[in-house]
Formats: sequence, structure tokens, C-alpha cells
Amino acid sequence: MEIKVEVKQNITILTPIGRIDTATAKAFEEGISQHLKEKIQLVISFEEINYISSAGLRVILMAGKKQMAGHGKLGLINMPDKIYTVFKMSGFDKIIKIYKDFDTACKLLQSETASF
Amino acid sequence: MISLLYVSNISRGLSAMLLKIKTDISEIDAICTKLEKFCKDNNISDDKSYDIVIITDEMATNVINYAYPDGKEHWFVIEITKDNNIVHICLEDDGIPFDPLQKVDPNLNESLEERPIGGLGIYLVRQLSNTVTYRRENGKNRLDIFIKIDGVENGD
Repeated sequence: MEIKVEVKQNITILTPIGRIDTATAKAFEEGISQHLKEKIQLVISFEEINYISSAGLRVILMAGKKQMAGHGKLGLINMPDKIYTVFKMSGFDKIIKIYKDFDTACKLLQSETASF
Repeated sequence: MISLLYVSNISRGLSAMLLKIKTDISEIDAICTKLEKFCKDNNISDDKSYDIVIITDEMATNVINYAYPDGKEHWFVIEITKDNNIVHICLEDDGIPFDPLQKVDPNLNESLEERPIGGLGIYLVRQLSNTVTYRRENGKNRLDIFIKIDGVENGD
């Protein structure tokens, strides 16, 4: 799975491309994991994701837990409506920060003192 | 994956597809592609198409990962039927008995720390479908899932 990496204003932005299902979740996990470092501010953009199943949600949950343990931050941005519905249905909107876009994420992530 | 059957009578609102799937995780993408095409051919909205694909993906993944602990290659069957505004997905495997409906729903009020990793697949299936039934008969697990779709725009 291809994941674009960009760093803007001290925030690492990961943009995975394609589908996140059981077949691609492992590659997604490997791609994300190498960026989960202590105290890092990480944003995952969903603009190029058109499908996510529970296998992908599992990776996001794992990333959220690791970021919290490492006193980092995690935000999800640019989520298509349907994918947001799946996150909401899973209750992930309560435990992982979901922002409209990078600018909103940037403002809010950096203004928060707590890690989550 | 072997596509055993594909019948379609769009004017009568009836279509059916029968797939024989190998217990190999790489089959998932092929199943999803077939289902997306089925939904498109039957004018099912993108929104419902996503539901149909994720439901089948989750349940097929379950069979592939857990139904056959011997690790050998097995085959199971997925049948999808659209009859007017109802889509019926049926999965049948001869693996170990497993009733996914016995699984307890995740607690959505748990904190990030508390939330266990996993267990969401079956929950999503229940949320996105109208009816799910399980039965074990003749040494097989059979799961029937019904999804109501919006009226297809054909003038009535």
C-alpha cells in the first residue's frame, strides 16, 4: 500500500492511498507504525481512501493507543462521509480526534496541552 | 475464487451471484470487486454498495481466518441475491461451528486506553444490516444477512 508522507509545521501527515481491508491492513499497519514515535504529532489524511473495514479500524485504534502511550498526538482528517459514518458507528469519534482538514487539525492539535 | 453463477433479470428486479471462495486472505479483494460490480449492475447506491461490500468482507474474513484451524486450503460459498429492494447475502462453510451472533457488542463508551483491539467486524455487520440469522445444519455454518436498499429508480 502506498502512503504519502509530508511534514508541515512540525506535523507529520500520512496519506494512504486505496482500500484498507483485510488484505491491505498489514501493509497499512507497517506503513503507519514506522511513524509512531514518542511525542510526535501525526495526522492521517483519508482523502485518498475509499474503503475501510474493521481490519483498518483496528490499525487506527492501535495507532491511537501507541500515540497516547508515547505522549504524541494523532488526528484524522479529510474523511469522506461514508468513512466517517463507519468511524462514528464504531465509537471511534469519541476516542480519536477527527478534524475537517489539515488547517483545523493544525490549530487544534497545537493548542491542546494534553496529548488527547 | 470461482464464479459459479451470475443471473440477472434487471427488469424483474432480480439478480443472483454465486461465488466459491478459497480460504486465502488474498481472495478478499476479488470478492469486493465482484460485489461492487454486482451493485453497480443493479443500480444500487454507492452508500448501500459500501454496506454490502463491508458486510461480506467482514464475514468472509472471519471464515478465512477462523473456520478452519487445520490451516489447510478449504472452500466456502457466498451467494448474493437482489430481489427488488432486498439484498440477501448468504455465507456457507463446513468449518468449525461458530455463531458470530453470540459475540458481545463492543462498549462504545470505553476510553482509548480501555477499548480492546478487534471485535468490531461482527458489530459493524449487525449495525449495517436489517436482519442476520445463523444456523448450523448438516455440518455447516450458514449465515443469512438481509439488507434493505433504497427503491431503484426505474419509474415506479
